[in-house]
This record gives sequence, structure tokens and C-alpha cells, in this order.
Amino acid sequence: MSREKLDQIAEKEQARQSQFDKRIHCCISTACLSAGAGHTIQTLRDSVEAAPTGDEVEVVQTGCMGLCSRGPLVRVQEKSGEEVYYADVDSECAEELVAKTVSWDQAQAKQQKLSSELQTVRARLETARRKRSLKKHILSPDMPFFTKQVKVVLRDVGYVDPEKLEDYLAHGGYEALHKVLTEMSPEQVCDEMLNSGLRGRGGAGFPTGLKWNFVRREQSDVKYVVVNGDEGDPGAYMDRTVMEDNPHQVLEGMMIAAYAVGANHGYFYIRAEYPIAIDRIRGAIRAARRHGILGKSVLGTDFSYNADVRIGAGAFVCGEETALIHSIEGKRGVPRMRPPYPSTSGLWGKPTVINNVETFASVPAIIKEGADWYAQIGTEKSKGTKVFALAGQLTNTGLIEVPMGITLKEIVYEIGGDVPGDAEFKAAQTGGPSGGCIPNTHMDTPVDYESLQELGSIMGSGGLVIIDSTTSMPEFARFFMDFCVDESCGKCVPCRVGTVQIRTLLDKIIEGRGEPEDLDKLEALCQLVRSTSLCGLGQSAPNPVLSTLRFFRHEYEALIPTNA
Amino acid sequence: MITLSIDTKTIQVAPDTNVLKAALDNGIHIPHLCYHPDLSISGGCRLCLVEVEGQDQPVLSCGLTAAEGMVIQTQSEQLTELRRGVLDLFISDHPLDCVVCDKAGSCTLQEYAYEYGLKETSYEPTVSSALFQDDNPFFLRDHQYCILCGRCVRVCDEIVGVHAIDFANRGFETNIATPYDGPMIDSTCVFCGNCVQVCPTAALMPVSRLQRGREWDLDRTLSVCGYCGVGCQIEYATKDNAIIYAQAPEHGAANGTFLCTKGRYGWDFATSPERLKQPMLRRDVAHKLGLTEEPWELPETSPLDIRNPNVEQYFVPVDWDTALEFVSSRLSEITESHGPDSIMGLASARCTNEDNYLFQKFMRAVIGTNNIDHCARL
Ligand SMILES: Cc1cc2nc3c(=O)[nH]c(=O)nc-3n(C[C@H](O)[C@H](O)[C@H](O)COP(=O)(O)O)c2cc1C
Ligand code: SF4
Ligand code: SF4
Ligand code: SF4
Ligand code: FES
Repeated sequence: MSREKLDQIAEKEQARQSQFDKRIHCCISTACLSAGAGHTIQTLRDSVEAAPTGDEVEVVQTGCMGLCSRGPLVRVQEKSGEEVYYADVDSECAEELVAKTVSWDQAQAKQQKLSSELQTVRARLETARRKRSLKKHILSPDMPFFTKQVKVVLRDVGYVDPEKLEDYLAHGGYEALHKVLTEMSPEQVCDEMLNSGLRGRGGAGFPTGLKWNFVRREQSDVKYVVVNGDEGDPGAYMDRTVMEDNPHQVLEGMMIAAYAVGANHGYFYIRAEYPIAIDRIRGAIRAARRHGILGKSVLGTDFSYNADVRIGAGAFVCGEETALIHSIEGKRGVPRMRPPYPSTSGLWGKPTVINNVETFASVPAIIKEGADWYAQIGTEKSKGTKVFALAGQLTNTGLIEVPMGITLKEIVYEIGGDVPGDAEFKAAQTGGPSGGCIPNTHMDTPVDYESLQELGSIMGSGGLVIIDSTTSMPEFARFFMDFCVDESCGKCVPCRVGTVQIRTLLDKIIEGRGEPEDLDKLEALCQLVRSTSLCGLGQSAPNPVLSTLRFFRHEYEALIPTNA
Repeated sequence: MITLSIDTKTIQVAPDTNVLKAALDNGIHIPHLCYHPDLSISGGCRLCLVEVEGQDQPVLSCGLTAAEGMVIQTQSEQLTELRRGVLDLFISDHPLDCVVCDKAGSCTLQEYAYEYGLKETSYEPTVSSALFQDDNPFFLRDHQYCILCGRCVRVCDEIVGVHAIDFANRGFETNIATPYDGPMIDSTCVFCGNCVQVCPTAALMPVSRLQRGREWDLDRTLSVCGYCGVGCQIEYATKDNAIIYAQAPEHGAANGTFLCTKGRYGWDFATSPERLKQPMLRRDVAHKLGLTEEPWELPETSPLDIRNPNVEQYFVPVDWDTALEFVSSRLSEITESHGPDSIMGLASARCTNEDNYLFQKFMRAVIGTNNIDHCARL
């Protein structure tokens, strides 16, 4: 389908949306759903239907709005663009919200015959008009939780209906793809990525433009693009959210990469525990195919591209790129030695770009707004924004997107609203089982790749766990070591046996059987596993232990009987 | 050719050679457990670390392609420390009962533990799998000795082409298994025993050698397998003149380091009382030829149908000349009386190509018939 036709669809959808005075967005992402958003959205829909002027209001299902700890979240958007957020919206609150959002002006009322059920709903709305509890649910737009965030990846997440290509188009979707196909050479696209300073969001932070250039320069009849949607870090859900809540954004980023490197086929590798993400990505692929966005002649150009979904069986190690490739190939998901890197020999031995979901999701905005625009966000070496799944002992938890270089302090005290109760902020863990903790004494550290690494942690893929003073750090470290013991693929001995021995030592210390020399032994073993393991899982598995040993050694020492 | 230096020795190797192979081929030993020259690279044992000039971190030599001018160190304090650490982990998950182990003396893990002075593990000994599987008459699988080097999996897949076994489960629970861990006989295994041969430990052992002597008790005799025309080299390990087990030697011209099930396990005929050691003529024929005194009648049942160890009841040993003379005269008589097409020849796969060629030539040119076939077609 040509660009013009897509523009027409977009305009038609924009016109349709602007008919409504107000649009009520209700988050149906996993966190809100589990807090009861299913009932909320049903009540919103019924109430709007039963309301006298309901046809001036549209109820829209959207993705994550960020403040997951206060779900179900609802946003009312005025025609003027003004927005109000409501938190903890249960059915009762939803009725009051509709009752107070619609106009009760009889002159505007629609002529309709209400079914008996809707008459009951109407009656309830009448009562709800007089209630006064809605105020409590309003979230101030001046909350630092909102003002401190900078949304690039999540800009449309929580606004677009993830199941409607029209809505994505109405939000400027596929404009970036069209731009690269018609105005830019593959080399220019790679350069644009280089200039933007975008680095891989899967954890290691490798410059994306550089990676694309490697693959672009390879001579090969077949090349592939792979979206890494394995997201194994426990508690992290950035990638899931983007795939579920704006699947076309990821697809568009992937297609831009494909054009840039000369690939005509690609795969989404998504873990089986993400059935909604799998459905939505598949839905997006189908819709894109129907509209000529995928297939032989993409947007009427001579570029052809197809994408498929491959489902991972939920092993953490399958997020590692070589294991992921084996898994797509139908082999046992174990890593192999690199080189060769996937950029020279990847899927079925062909040059392959593998990037994280968030990396791809950053691409359309960079193309549309320009590399310079993107590069002005962030720090000198870490550009742009990073999405974090903020979790742990904090008042506000959820999904946040912040500019690189923001301090931990701002995240914890401003966005997170501090640790609740009497406890105090003690440390933050980034990078999950591969990362480390940053103690509160370092909370002025800017969150960027280099600073975190200096502190013995990593940026990671976006897990950010806040630990308060009630948590024992050795036990915290053991939690992650348990995870690594379970998730080690078993191919190499330092990780297969070493992690088990680290855990044995931790058990011994935590259970009060430790001996004074055990701490040095633990540290030496961690260093051995780190320096001799085959892949990133083993190499980084000791990080939580090493970093807690570094900053909280006294907690370990206190557990050793002779020192106590 | 590529020139590099390993431990100050200048070495030339073909392009695409890995540094471990380059070193081993030139008499420089780097410890390794998962590498095998005929198999793909795994990189799982982490022992073959070396130092490369210009790189901060030690690198695995099995995964490092030799490059022009490379300078490699295979021994240093740092490397010893790392290898020792890795070996310490290996032996923490391995019974250290070498005093009673049949593999003692030929176990690579034992060799390295000795080399690096590891008497015991400094960790909590924890054996990951105690599975013991003796489900076939040829080899047994004792998982507590398995170090998961994966050589067996790779040889079965890459050389034998059978892929009867693979890794199952993951992490510390990983073990080598047939599909669904069913008995070996129900898998696609052809019992070639190549997995047993490449196993560096006592995890895979020929049943025939259990408690029958350890490496230093055994004599070795290099021979050629008699089963077929390929002519694989074979090495018999013997004790007191009895075969204890057979394996491929290090570099057989025809077979490399591999054998098939017949050569490896089918050697009991060598000392069988049933074994024929010279030509024999049936008693009635021998009598007719004047070789025996007593007359003899062919019994109702053909002697070929009787499985009787006492062949001498039916046959008389003769020398080769007599036997060949008899065969050639009978062939001539039959050709003359019934024509050459009344004779057929059946060649054997146990003969070499050259033997088989001569045989068909003999049938066509000397006897004069095209009635010739080969047992491999049956
Ligand atoms: C044990 C392990 C798990 C990983 N899991 C993921 C993952 O879930 N998602 C991801 O994008 N990258 C993961 N990675 C990183 C990938 O190997 C790879 O570097 C990344 O997908 C590259 O994309 P990027 O450059 O966009 O970050 C993992 C790496 C390791 C070692
Ligand atoms: S480090 Fe762990 S996960 Fe990675 S290859 Fe080794 S055993 Fe497997
Ligand atoms: S005996 Fe041969 S076929 Fe059977 S598992 Fe071993 S290598 Fe494979
Ligand atoms: S059985 Fe032997 S060859 Fe196979 S993985 Fe275990 S130790 Fe290695
Ligand atoms: S021989 Fe290189 S890792 Fe095992």
C-alpha cells in the first residue's frame, strides 16, 4: 500500500477521534489488569453507554501509563489536550468518573432506549454524581513521578490502542520507515544511529549504529534481523510493555534496521511467558501485512521484508544472543564462544543484527526527530533515555523512562516518592542477577553506563530494585545467586559448578556457620567464576555478591560467629 | 602458512588453525578436556586458557584462530592459578576414588589434578548426578564421573551421525541422556563405542575391562581389524594374553581415532575354541582322496546345519596346497561337465577391494561366468 493510502487511514482515524469531546484511556496492561482493570474498563464502557451524552466520550483501551503500583490507571483526555490521571480506579470509582465526565445537559442528551440493564447503570450513575470520592483518585500532573520523566520510547505507550494499526498511524506511525525508504541510503541510516549515540538497551550498551554498520558491510545474499524479547531479568517488564502496548513501534524499528543492513527477513524472539506480547506482535505483523507495510513491496517501494515470531521456552540464558540464535534454529539454547559474532555469523550462519526491544523501539523517534535531537538528551557517553521497571520498597513503583544521567537520588526520592514507613533507602540494584547494588552513599551517581560500571554494577536491561534498611544484603545476594544456579545452562564448569559452590558458601555464612576465611574464599571464587565463565550469565553471576561484599561487607562479617 | 610464537617456539601452521591445535601438534601441552581434534569446538571446560601478547585477559586457545605474528604464552602464574581454580571446581563434582577406579592411569582429569597438585577440592564436595546405567552389554554410563565435556555428544552427532545422546536438563542438573532417558537399546545408538573412546573420565567404560586391570597393567598391540575391507587400525589392550578391550589407536590411516561396533566389541572370536586356524576337508572327501583310513558317511543332517564345536568329527585338517588343489580340480570338473554358468561366486566384505577385484576377474576370465555377487548386497 502506498504512503498516501496510509496517510488517508491516519487522517480518517484522527478525524474519528476528534469527534469526541473526551477520551477516557484505561490501562489494560498486565499490572493494571491484575489490579482489576478488566472490571474497570467494562464499567467505563457500560457507564458511557448508559450516560445521557455518552456518545461524546470514547473509552479506549491502552497500555501502561507507568504508575503500576496505583493501578488500575485511567486518564481523561480533553479535546484541548489537557489530561487528568486517576489512580486505583475500581468499578465504583469508574462510575463516579464517568458520571462526572459526561455532560448531564438534557439538551445534548442522545435519544435512546435503554435496556433494563443499562437503566440500572444509569440509576447508579445518578447516585455516583453526588459522591465525593473522585478527588482522592486524582494524580497531580505536577507529581515528580510525571514531570521528571522524559518519554521517547514510551511516548505513545499508554495512548495508542495496541490492537489498532489505525491508531498507530494516527500517532505518526510508519512515517520514520517511509522516510528512510524514500529519503535515506542504508549508510545514512547507520550514520544517523551512530550520531544519535544510541547504545544497546539489552544490557551491554554496544553502539547500535556500529553494530548495524558491521552487518551492512558484510557480503551475503541473506541477512537477518532479530528482536530480542526474551527479557529474563526477574521483575523487569520494560520490553514486555513495549511489545504489548505499542507493537508496531518495535516492528517499525526492526524494519528500519533491516533496510539499513540489507536484510529481508527477521524474527521476534519472545518468551513463552509473554502470551499477550506474542499475540500483539503477531497481530501487528498481520495488520502490517494486510496494509502492505510488510511483504514484497514495503510502502510501495522495492524494499521487501517479512517478519515472524519465535517463542522461547523461558530460559534466562536464551536472551544471550548466541543461545537465542541456537534456540531459533531449533537447537538446545546454549551459548557458544564468540567470535564469530552474530554480525558476521549469526542465524543459520548469516550476518545478523540482534537488538533489544527497547533499542528498536527508540529508532523511529530518532529517525523522525533527528540524531541531534536524541543526542542532546543524556550524558556525553550515554545518550537518550532509559526505561526502568522500578520495583522494591518504594511508594511509587512502575515503569519509568528517564534521561540518562539522572541521579539515583532523583529516581528514589522524587520519582519513587521515597521508601514508605520508617525504613530508609539503603541501596538500589540495577541489572538484576547480572548487576550490582549501589549503596545510598552513592546516590548522587548519575545513571549512565560508565558510572554504574565503575560502581561494580551495570545498566542492565532496566530492572531497578530499591532496597530499604530492613533487607539483609547477604540474603539479597543469595536470592540472585539462586536464580543463576537455576538458570545456568550447564555448558561451562565455572558457572555450572561455581555458582552452586558460591551458594553453598552463602548458605553457610547466612546460617551462621561461616568461618573467618570464608569471605575471602567467597570473593576469590566469585572472581574465578567471573573471569573464566563462557558467557555473560556466568561472567556476571557473581556481581550481586561482589558488590554487596564491597559495600556491605560488615553485614557478612556480622554473620560470622567469631566476629559477632 | 601462518607463523606464530608459542612459548618462544616459532611455529608454522595452516590458516584457520586454532592455537590449541597448533600447540599440541608441536609438542606443547595445554590442558584441555572438552577439545578433541576431530570434533567441533565447545569451549566448555575453560582449561585451555593462554596469554596473548597485547590482550589483557587470558583467552581460550581452542577458540582462538592463529594469526600471523601472534605471541602466545601457555604457562604463567596467572594461568596456573586460573586452571587450578577451574580444576578445583571440576573435582568438587567428581568422586575422588581414583584408588579403585578402572580409569586410573588413563583419566585426563586425574592427570591434570596430579599436574596441578590438587589432592582434594577446597570446596564442599557435591556430586551432581549419581545415575548409574548399565543397560547394554558393551559399555556402562556412570554419571558421577561425568564432567560434561560433551565429547560423547559431539562424536555421536558429528562423526557417527547418529545423535543418540545429548545434554538433558540444565545447570548443575545437566546430564547426558538418550531421548527421555530411555534405555540405550531403545535409542538410535549403534553401539559403536566411539563415545566411550573419547570420554576423558570413567563416565563411559567398556564393560569388558571392569576390574580386569588398569592402564599400567595392560599390554598394547597394534593390529588391523579383520572384519572388513576398510582396514581400520585397531589397538588391543591385553593382559596375560587375553584381550581386555579394543580401541582405535591415535591416528589410524583409514579410521582416524574411530571404530565401528564390530571391531571394537567383536573380538571374542580371537580366543574362541571354535575358531578355524587351517583349511579342513570333509571326512568322506578326505577318505576318497586317500587322506584318511576310515570310510565315512555323510549323515542325514548336513554338517552345515549342525552347530558343533567338535568340527573334527566331520572334518579333517589339511594343508593349504591340498585344499587349493582340491578346490581347483573340482571347479575344473564342474565347469567341464556342467558349463561355467553352473558355478557362482559370492565375494565377501571382509576382503579388501583388491581381493574382491581379483575374485570377480577370476570368475569371469578363469571360470568364464558372470555369476558373481557380494555379501554386502544381501
Ligand atoms: C545471560 C544473558 C541474558 C540476556 N538476556 C537478554 C534479554 O533478555 N534481552 C536482551 O535484549 N538482551 C539480553 N542479553 C544481551 C544479548 O546477548 C545481546 O547483547 C542484546 O540482545 C543485544 O542487543 P542491544 O545491543 O540492543 O542491547 C542477555 C545477555 C546475557 C549474557
Ligand atoms: S556461563 Fe553459564 S550460562 Fe553461560 S555458557 Fe557457561 S554454563 Fe552456560
Ligand atoms: S555407542 Fe556410538 S552410536 Fe551409541 S551413543 Fe556412543 S557414539 Fe553414539
Ligand atoms: S560421558 Fe564422558 S565424554 Fe560424555 S560428557 Fe561425560 S565425561 Fe564427557
Ligand atoms: S579445550 Fe578449550 S575450553 Fe575446553
